Amino acid sequence: MAGRVAQLSLFVVAIVIGILLVGQLRSQAPSIQLSSLSAQELSALIQTLSARNVELGEALAELREQIRSYEVAEVQGQSTLDLTEAELERHAAFGGLRGVDGQGVVITIEGVSDPTPINDIIYELRGAGAEAIAVDQIRVTARSVATLGAGVIEIDGRPLGRTVEIRAIGSPEGLNSALRRPGGILTLLEQSIGAQFAIEPRTSLRVPATERDLAPQAARPVE
Amino acid sequence: MSRRLPPRRRLARSRWAISIAFGLGVIGFVGAAQWNSSLLRQQFITSAQTVLITQAEQLQRNQETLRAEIEAADDRVQGFQEQDAGSQAVLRRLNEELAAVRLAIGLEEVRGPGVVLEIADSQRAVPVGESAANYIVLVDDLRDIVTALWAAGAEAITIAGGAAEGIPSERIVASTSIDGAGPAILVNSARLSPPYRIEAIGPDGLHERFLTHPTYLGRVARRIEAYGLQFASEARDELTLAEFVGNTRLRWGAPIAVAD
Repeated sequence: MAGRVAQLSLFVVAIVIGILLVGQLRSQAPSIQLSSLSAQELSALIQTLSARNVELGEALAELREQIRSYEVAEVQGQSTLDLTEAELERHAAFGGLRGVDGQGVVITIEGVSDPTPINDIIYELRGAGAEAIAVDQIRVTARSVATLGAGVIEIDGRPLGRTVEIRAIGSPEGLNSALRRPGGILTLLEQSIGAQFAIEPRTSLRVPATERDLAPQAARPVE
Repeated sequence: MSRRLPPRRRLARSRWAISIAFGLGVIGFVGAAQWNSSLLRQQFITSAQTVLITQAEQLQRNQETLRAEIEAADDRVQGFQEQDAGSQAVLRRLNEELAAVRLAIGLEEVRGPGVVLEIADSQRAVPVGESAANYIVLVDDLRDIVTALWAAGAEAITIAGGAAEGIPSERIVASTSIDGAGPAILVNSARLSPPYRIEAIGPDGLHERFLTHPTYLGRVARRIEAYGLQFASEARDELTLAEFVGNTRLRWGAPIAVAD
C-alpha cells in the first residue's frame, strides 16, 4: 500500500515538473529568438519596425482625419459620398484594381529563364516599400505570381517577353538602393544566373490596373 | 527479535531509493542545464544588444497598439459610410462596390474551404561543418509556399508564427513583404517565430495542387526532405482568415481615374 502511494506521488510530482518545464521553455521561446540576433540584425529589425510604425502612424492619422470629416458632415447634415468614393479609389489602387501614376523605378532584366528570380524581385520591391508593381504591363496583385507556363514565364496566365520590364511605384531612391545594396537580390542573381539588370529611377511612371477578376469564388465574407 | 527487514524487502526498498534518486538526479540535471544555458546566453548578450532588444520589443508593442487603433478607426469609418445622409440608391451602390473591393483585396475577414500548413525548424542535430541555417525555416521557404499556394488557386492566405493558440495572423495582400532579419521572419513587418502556420482558402483540390506544384517541389520540399524541417499539411472544409490590418494609402503615387 505504501509502495502504491509512493509511486503515485512520484508520478504526480513528475507530471507537475514536466508541465512547469514545458511552460518555462515555451515562455522563453520568443525572447530567446530576439536575443539570438546579432547587433547588426537587431539594428536592421529596428529600422524595419520603425519605418513600418511611421507608415502605420500616418495611416492612423489619415483615418482619424477621415472620421473628423465624416463627423463634421454629419453635424452639418451634408452627404459624405465623395469621401467614400475617395476611399474606394484608394483601396482599389492599393489592391491593383486601379492604375497608379507616380514616382518609382523601371527595372529591365535580360537572361532570366526561371520564374523564381522574378518572384524574388517582386518580394524585394515590396520589402523596400513599393506601392504598385507591374511586370511587362501586367499589374501584380497579391495573387499574382510568376510561374513556368509552356516554356515561357507567365504571370496571371499572360506570357512575359525575353526582356522583362518591371515597373514599381515607390521612393525611387529607396527602391534603387534596396535592389543595389551589396549582397542584395541583384548581386545574387547576377552571380547565380548571369542575368543582366538595369535600373532607372523615374519621376513619372504609370502602372496599369489588373485585368484579372479578383472576386473570390470559394472565399466568402464573414458577416 | 531482529529489527532488520528480510533480504527480499530490503532489496525492493533499495531499488525504489535508486529509482527516486535517479529520477531526481535527471530533473536536477535538466533544471541546472536550463538555468546555466540561460545564464550563459545572458552573459553573451552585450549591453548594446540589450538596449537594441528593448528598443525592438518596444517598437513591436507600439506596432500592436497602432494596428489595434487602425482596426477600430476603420470600423468607425465603415460605420459612417453605411449611414450617409445623401441619396440612398447611390449610397447603396457605392457601399456594395466598396465591400466588393475590400473583399477582393484582403481587407475583409473571409471564410471557406482550404488548406492548413505548418512548417518549423528541424529537430536534427547540425552535423559538424554544416551550416545551421540549413536546418531552420528560411524566408525563401515561406515565399515559395505562398507562391505555390497562389499558383494552385488560393484566394486568401494568412501566415501566423509561434506555438501559442490564437496568435494573430498576417493576411497576405498586394503590399505584403516576407523578409528576414537573422533567424526572425517579418511578414507585413510583423516579427513571426516558428512554427509557421499558413492557412489558405481556395477551390476544391487546392491541397493536392499545392503539393504537386513545381514551386513547392523545387526548393521547400527538397529542404524538408534533406534537412528534416518539420512540415505537415491538411485540407479543411472550413477556415476563417483574418483581414489585413495596416496601411493602404499610397505615398508615392495616386489612383488613375477610371476615365483616363
